[in-house]
Amino acid sequence: MSLAEYLKEKLLDFFIGILCAALISGLLIFTGSNPYAVVYSLVLTFVGALICISADYLKRRNFYKNLLFCMRAMDKLYLLSEMVSPPGFYEGNVLCEALKLSNKAMNDQIAVYKNSMEEYREYIESWVHEIKTPIASGMLIVENNQSNAVKSIGEEIEKIDAFVEQALFYSRSSSVEKDYIIKEQSLREIVLSAVRRNSKTLIQNKVLVEVEDFDFKVYTDSKWIDFILNQIISNSVKYKSENPKIKFSAERIDTNVSLFVEDNGIGISPKDAGRVFEKGFTGENGRKFKKSTGIGLYLCKKLCEKLGLSISISSKEGEWTRVGIVFPMGGTHLLS
Amino acid sequence: MRIAIIEDDEKIRHELLLFLQKYGYEVCALENFDNVIGDVLNKNPDLILLDVNLPLFDGYYVCREIRKLSAVPIIIVTSRNTEMDELMGMNLGADDFVSKPYNMQILLARIEAVLKRAYKTGFAQKLSYNGVSLDLSKGTAEFDGRCIELTKNEIKILHLLIKNAGKVISRDEIMNALWQSNEFVDDNTLTVNINRLRKKLEEIGVGDFLITKRGQGYMV
Repeated sequence: MSLAEYLKEKLLDFFIGILCAALISGLLIFTGSNPYAVVYSLVLTFVGALICISADYLKRRNFYKNLLFCMRAMDKLYLLSEMVSPPGFYEGNVLCEALKLSNKAMNDQIAVYKNSMEEYREYIESWVHEIKTPIASGMLIVENNQSNAVKSIGEEIEKIDAFVEQALFYSRSSSVEKDYIIKEQSLREIVLSAVRRNSKTLIQNKVLVEVEDFDFKVYTDSKWIDFILNQIISNSVKYKSENPKIKFSAERIDTNVSLFVEDNGIGISPKDAGRVFEKGFTGENGRKFKKSTGIGLYLCKKLCEKLGLSISISSKEGEWTRVGIVFPMGGTHLLS
Repeated sequence: MRIAIIEDDEKIRHELLLFLQKYGYEVCALENFDNVIGDVLNKNPDLILLDVNLPLFDGYYVCREIRKLSAVPIIIVTSRNTEMDELMGMNLGADDFVSKPYNMQILLARIEAVLKRAYKTGFAQKLSYNGVSLDLSKGTAEFDGRCIELTKNEIKILHLLIKNAGKVISRDEIMNALWQSNEFVDDNTLTVNINRLRKKLEEIGVGDFLITKRGQGYMV
């Protein structure tokens, strides 16, 4: 609140005050008072008024200056009510009170949604664990009773399992809770275990797997990174071309370790390349292969962000696709 | 090797039992969970497959209690597959942790690895079938006093076939087994491996040991 703004607001008060002073002085002179006494009383009035106005102005200025500063500078604006205290004049006090009350009401409202989201997430989490039991017994039955029909049912059960897994990680990815544990892991072992886990699909699709000779330590949650690699591998299989091949390589660049998963599949058209991490985006390949859901890579990106990793994709249409995941070294990214 | 299964889901218990029997293990399963710890130790198993979700007490409790009494290897099997669960299981003295639903080859590989670690000696280091004996520790095959060295893959293949003697094992199954020890062989490599293995067996005088079943796989 600048002085000009303040004065502008008080314009009418000043006008009436000056008018009154002028009228009273006129009256006093008219009734034959001593001109010195008139001047004296006028000066006295003006000095008194000036002191009152200055004090009032300073009080308001400080309050509004702080308020405006906070409004502009804070990134979490909903904490505004914590930053201002009642200034001691009526409008200011009311404003503070209103801010606090509305904030509290909003917090209550948010808590309602938070709770219901958390409950839903817990339900999904426990549902996933429940459903894993029949899936596991189904797979075992398939394993013990080999025939073409049973084998084909087995493939479908595996798809169900993959979708269930996706649902689990979707609910985890949108949770505000931190339900992962970061440990030092061998990147090579992470890759090998992901390949082993996908051995059946990879063998069935006759995919040639090559793991280059690398060995780095990275900091991450093994289950989450395993899920991310599963998504990438299943994409490579889904969008394969003739003589499919997947190559895993890694290198250290400055303070980061980058893992690359490269396939010789159908690739991504340049106009789709920038959007593959968007939720629900399926693009041209999605139209050709009706199985695309547009969730896999979206989830990968989201989980990577939570783990403090960065993921990128590059491709040449019809030739290759390369996914890169960057693990910062030393674990400093975990502090954020 | 005797494996005890502690699993309350009847179907999984039954199928797991069949599956492990198929791979040559002696298997026993608990049907009653009132006194899990006593019952399972009475059966004197060489390894315990323990499910976490059990009636009465959960698997973690059972694991801790068994550990107080015995050093028998325990593999925890669970559908709760967070890193936290795994850490908890390991802290309570489990030897390994496999999440449901399991890739069967992975489960077999884990069982084998844990058994190998726990019983370094005496664990099926030698196998033989129809006069051909396979020494896993030395990596050799022997027939009629003649001995020949095999490569890692060749041993794995022969091992799998002899363990399942009389049954046809598909090429995919063989590859899957090899993949579990990080040998990501493709179709061509497998053909080469099989041919070499055949030739080596012929060198020590074993002909027609490895039988090809067209379109199905191999058997001994």
